[in-house]
Amino acid sequence: MEIMIRLKKILFILLLFFFTDQAKAQIPAHGDPAPEIALPSANGDTLRLSSLKGKVVLLDFWASWCGPCRIANRGLVKIYDKFKGENFEIYSVSFDDEKTDWLKAVKQDKIKWLQVNESGKWDARTAVEWGIQALPTTYLIGKDGTLMAMDMEGKVLEKAIKDLLKD
Amino acid sequence: MKKVVLVVSAFLFVASLQAQFNKATLQATGLTCSMCSNAVNKALQNVSFVESVKSDIKNSSFDIVFKSNAEVSPDALKDAVEDAGFSVGSLKLTGSFNGLGIENNKHVKIGKQYFHFLQVNDQVLNGEKTITVMDKNFVTEKVFKKYSNATRASCEQTGKTESGERIYHVTI
Repeated sequence: MEIMIRLKKILFILLLFFFTDQAKAQIPAHGDPAPEIALPSANGDTLRLSSLKGKVVLLDFWASWCGPCRIANRGLVKIYDKFKGENFEIYSVSFDDEKTDWLKAVKQDKIKWLQVNESGKWDARTAVEWGIQALPTTYLIGKDGTLMAMDMEGKVLEKAIKDLLKD
Repeated sequence: MKKVVLVVSAFLFVASLQAQFNKATLQATGLTCSMCSNAVNKALQNVSFVESVKSDIKNSSFDIVFKSNAEVSPDALKDAVEDAGFSVGSLKLTGSFNGLGIENNKHVKIGKQYFHFLQVNDQVLNGEKTITVMDKNFVTEKVFKKYSNATRASCEQTGKTESGERIYHVTI
């Protein structure tokens, strides 16, 4: 009996360590490999971020209700038009709770690139794993899947994409 | 005997509670979109008497539920929003009322706090009611001016009673 209690205690402490370790899990930063994202696209098929390895990827977190995101989409449309013929892709993750709101915004903003959705706003699993605290947030990912830059826009973003395409 | 005392005192406690705030709707304003940042949401969640916060995208507001029987401080909510880099655009408090008599332009004590009702009809509040805080920094400058013209009482400008206690100006 005594041993059982001791074992239970040890197990409890081990579990505690495990969970605190999980909670402290590193938020991805520059130079880190991009954590996997596997979410459903509009037609329900799971789209994996890792399936884009070998391409320069702009990962974009947004939501239909986020005004600044909708304005930023105009810039993304231009970027996409400019680089879509090359080894480049945009992967957008929306945190809309309503699928219809998401799809309406995709249509309105004339988005032709890859789009997935996860409901739950800030509590969505992907938002927590990536430590997303504001929308929009974007990451530029190199061909090998490494995070290279964050929240770039306009000319600066264009130049960074060009440079990474040469790698 | 002990049981009886307990029941009686519990009854007295409930009877003396003329109002208890249990939830609120808050709008935050600022230079950027308050819904697009997790800052306000997180700051409100960290307020001691707050049980939960949900953002209501359609109304651009935060639905806040208070811990039961907690003493609610509108100032603490305002400070949280301001610490997150935003201002309060509107704060509506919902509570259960139990025969609380209010009069226009008069002070009334709810819990430990003083409230000054503006632009209301004299009435007795019962059941679930929502009041809107009209103090400086709880509404836009424009709305504040409009409401502060409704009373000449000095407490409207200072937010303090003559004896120096915090007083909130509210309307229904």
